[in-house]
This record gives sequence, C-alpha cells and structure tokens, in this order.
Amino acid sequence: MSVRKIEALDNAAIAAPPRDWVLVGLWIALAMVAVLWVAPFVFIIFTSLKSMAAVMGSSAFSPPTDPQISNYVAAWNRGRFETTFTNSAIITVIKVPLGLFISAMAAYALARIEFSGRKVVLVLILFGTMIPFQVMLAPLFTLVNGFGLIDTYPGVILPYLAFGIPYQVFILQSFFRGVPKELTEAARIDGASHFVIFRRIFLPISLPVLAALFILDFVATWNEFAMALVLLQDQGMWTLPLGLSAFQGQFSRDYGQLNAAIVMTVLPAALVYLIFQRYFVSGLTSGAVKG
Amino acid sequence: MQTTNLASDQRLQAALLVTPALIIYGVFAIYPMVDVVVLSFQKWNGLDANRQFVGFSNYIGIFTKDPVFWVAFRNTVTWTVLSTIFPPLFGLLLALGLNQRLFARNSLRAIYYLPVIIAPIAVATMWRWMYDPFFGIFNQVLSLLGLQFWIKDWLGARDVALYSAFVAYVWQTVGFSMVLFLAGLQGVDKSLEEAARIDGANRWQRFRFVTLPALRPTITIVLVLSVISSLKAFDIIYGLTGGGPAQSTQMLALWAFTQSMQIFDFGRGSAISTVLLLITLAIVIPYMRWAQKREESSE
Repeated sequence: MSVRKIEALDNAAIAAPPRDWVLVGLWIALAMVAVLWVAPFVFIIFTSLKSMAAVMGSSAFSPPTDPQISNYVAAWNRGRFETTFTNSAIITVIKVPLGLFISAMAAYALARIEFSGRKVVLVLILFGTMIPFQVMLAPLFTLVNGFGLIDTYPGVILPYLAFGIPYQVFILQSFFRGVPKELTEAARIDGASHFVIFRRIFLPISLPVLAALFILDFVATWNEFAMALVLLQDQGMWTLPLGLSAFQGQFSRDYGQLNAAIVMTVLPAALVYLIFQRYFVSGLTSGAVKG
Repeated sequence: MQTTNLASDQRLQAALLVTPALIIYGVFAIYPMVDVVVLSFQKWNGLDANRQFVGFSNYIGIFTKDPVFWVAFRNTVTWTVLSTIFPPLFGLLLALGLNQRLFARNSLRAIYYLPVIIAPIAVATMWRWMYDPFFGIFNQVLSLLGLQFWIKDWLGARDVALYSAFVAYVWQTVGFSMVLFLAGLQGVDKSLEEAARIDGANRWQRFRFVTLPALRPTITIVLVLSVISSLKAFDIIYGLTGGGPAQSTQMLALWAFTQSMQIFDFGRGSAISTVLLLITLAIVIPYMRWAQKREESSE
C-alpha cells in the first residue's frame, strides 16, 4: 500500500524541485491520518450492507460479502424517510433562497446607503453571528407557540431565517463595500433607485459569494437539529435529523438498518459538498479571515 | 408617481431594504434572548397563562440545590478548554502540512473537511455505533491488536464517556480549523519566507519567526470560534449520551433544554441558559472590540 503511494508521489514530483525527504515523510503521515479520517465512513457503509448475522460474525473491516440492499429499503420505510426527507427538502428549498434574498437586501442598504442608526444595526448583526441559539430553545418554543406555529413549516423557517441572517448580512455587506463606487454612481445620476441598482448590478456581480453562502446555508439548514427538536413535535413534521435520532432510539439493535439510515441522512449534504467543494472554502473564509 | 418618490428618498429605501431582515432577526433571535433572561426570574411551567415573578430563586435553586448544574458547568468548562486546544492545534498542523506542494493535497484537504458538513446528530449516531461495546470498531480493533484489557464501554463508563464524546467532536471539527488556517496561510508573505530561507533560517525558525507572527489574527479568530462553537455543543451530546451515564456528560446547553422542555421548569432552564449566555458574552464582547479595532486600523 505505502509503496504504491510513494511511487505515485515520485511521478508527481518529476516537475518539482529535488526530492525533499521531510516532505515525503510529511505526506506519508498526512495520508495515514487521512485513512483514519475516512475509516468511520467505510465502517458505516460496510455495516449498512451487512445482515445481522454478518455484523455479528465478521470483522468490522471486512467488506460485505452479500450486500443487503434490503437494509436500505427497510430503513427507508421504518424510519419514515419519505416524510422526513420531504419535510427537510421543503424547509431547505424555501428557507435558503428566501434567507439569502432578505440578507442581500439588508446588506446592500448597510453597505451603500447612508442612514442614521447604520452602525448600531451593523454591531447588532455582528453580535448575532456569535450568539448561540441553543441558549434560547425554551423561549423560542414559547414564542412560536404563541404564534400558533408549532408543527408548521413557517414555525421552523422563521427562526431558521433569523439565525441565518446575521452571518449572511455580515459577509455580504463586507463584499458589497468592496464594489467600486463608480459602478453605481453613474446609475444613481441616471436616476435609478437603490432597488434597481441592487437588482441589476449588485445581485449579478455577487453571484459567486451568493453561491458560496447558498451551499453553506443549505448544509446548515439540512443538518439543523436542536431547533427542529423543540419546534417540530409531530412525527409527520419531522426533518431528517429528527428522524435519524428517533430511528436510533427505536431500532438501535438493527445494526444494518441503522447504518443504512445514517448513510441516507448524510448522503445529500455529502454530495452537495463534493460537487461544490471550492465554494465551501471561499464562503467560509471570506467572512472569518481576511488577509 | 410612487416610484419617483421612492427614488428620491434615500432613507425610505434603506428602511424598506433593511426592514424584513431586521424584523425577522429582532422577533425570532433578539426577543427570545431577552425573554430567556426575563424567564430566568420567573416561575413557569410553559403552559399557564401567567408567569410569576420570583426574583433570584431560580438562580439560588440551580447554584445551591442542583448538583447536576455543577457537573454540567464543570463539563462545559472542560469541554471548552479541550476544544480550544485540540481542534485548533490539529487544524494548524494539518494546514501547515497541506499548505506545502504535495501530491493530491486537494483530495487530502477534502477528506479532512468532509466530517464538518455532516449533521452533528448523524456524527453522534455514527460514533455511538462505533463505540458499541460488542461490535463497534474501537473494541474490535483493540481485540485485533491483542489489547483486550483496554476494551471498554466507551460511552457507558462514567470516567471516560465525556472524553469519548470529545474524540467524536474533534473528528468533526478539525477540518473547520484547518480551512481557516489554510486561508490565513495565504496571507503569509512568500517573499519574507524566501528571504529567511536565503538567510539560512531552518524550517522551525521560518515557522517560528515568519509564519507564526503572520498567523496571529487567524489564530485569534480560530480560538474564539472554537470557544463559541464548543459552548453550543448540544446535538452531539444529545445523540451520543443524552447527558448520561448518570448525568456524567451533562452540559449547560443540554441541561437547560432538559429543565425547560422535559421537566417543564422554564424558570430554572432559563436561569441555566442565562449563565451560559453570560459566559458567551464574556468572550464575544472583547472579541468584537478587538475585531472592530482591527477593521478600523486596516481601513
């Protein structure tokens, strides 16, 4: 195994400067740790394809000899994945674009229009990026219950929006501030309103940032658990993470099916990540670390 | 003509653009934060029409009559200290390694980052199965290596459960620190490093005197974000141990949730939340000051 890796390294190093043995050692160490890092995934996928007897009788790392696709079918039905998957999809599809649009509007005004109270709003927003919502689960329940929105889509989407807005506004306004003034001055002089400038100029040029935020928010919304736990009590309204948690509670001894349930829950976010990888990094870092 | 009126009034336009965000944020994020403090001075079961003011009795209750609170407090502190050390340290090491020109470094970065995007509750479910005393991966590997005497019920033994949970947390969060450090490393002046090399500085010296000072702002950011996200640890504990065995892995966030939403003592739950909120503010406010000064000086 390691011999093959070193050969591969040799091939790659042809164009590089003279071989540096420290780097070779470093690479081997990094690759070995990476194997440890993916081991849990391999273990989960293997188990998800094994029958009960195979789980108990074979080593954890032996591939399934007789793949049990039936585990997935059974987990899908028993775990009510059709319901939870639909709920997660509806909530994510509404929340993510709506949240980005609302945040982008606010970010534009904060970056480009002088108005009193602008600084206060900015500080308030920045503050919101760091406050843990886990602290306010009970009052959130009380509030949403007061509106009669427990077990409804709006009841969970509105708080999701509220806790997504600060980070998105913060990132977008710092991006908008970097847009050259000349680009908008001409339009202003021609009498265009801020709404027009926002829609015709700022939205198109910020597509890469919006894409990055879209992906990050998609994953965050898809994965959210604590708020959903409090705000969605009815089984018919559960999202995927709630469904998985309940599945573990009920069927934790059906190893194959439990692991199939894990794979099905994790897969959509993992696929989105693997497809849009580069946006992730730019989205994460554009806000937190600037050169 | 309504449109011309709008175009002429800057303030109205700003208000229209900012209002949707501010209303939603104010109602569903700021208001609950204020309400949690109000609730902490009241007695309420979550259902009654009136919430009765009881002064500091909820605080006195959690501080003097609730042994679990102090366990949760100690665990939260331990967890926070550990998460401020290990994920950032491993993240930094990985970033330094993966910042070199190495074969397949993008794939390696992707592998280390992958756990970050997985739902914490799914991570909990995965690791609970991996820690399974009979068929889990850890005990299987140990018996494979002939280390049977180390075999444990990793999540069921009171002395190790918290650390077992923490290992899962490290696996999930290291990638996040790594990516932030990789971004920070892009800001390190390459010519400075080159100059140090020509002057005969070895690897360690170049790291110590060139890279590390340049990384200072990134280090602060990573540490603060690590502290904040560790205070939020909820899903992973909920899914791995539920605070057990015998409350030995209880945390402030989870204990607040349990008091309010399962025992229906909203007053006590909110008092615990308020304590957690104050701890968070004690970290967030100085950090925001620092960040603002930094921004102003860079403008």
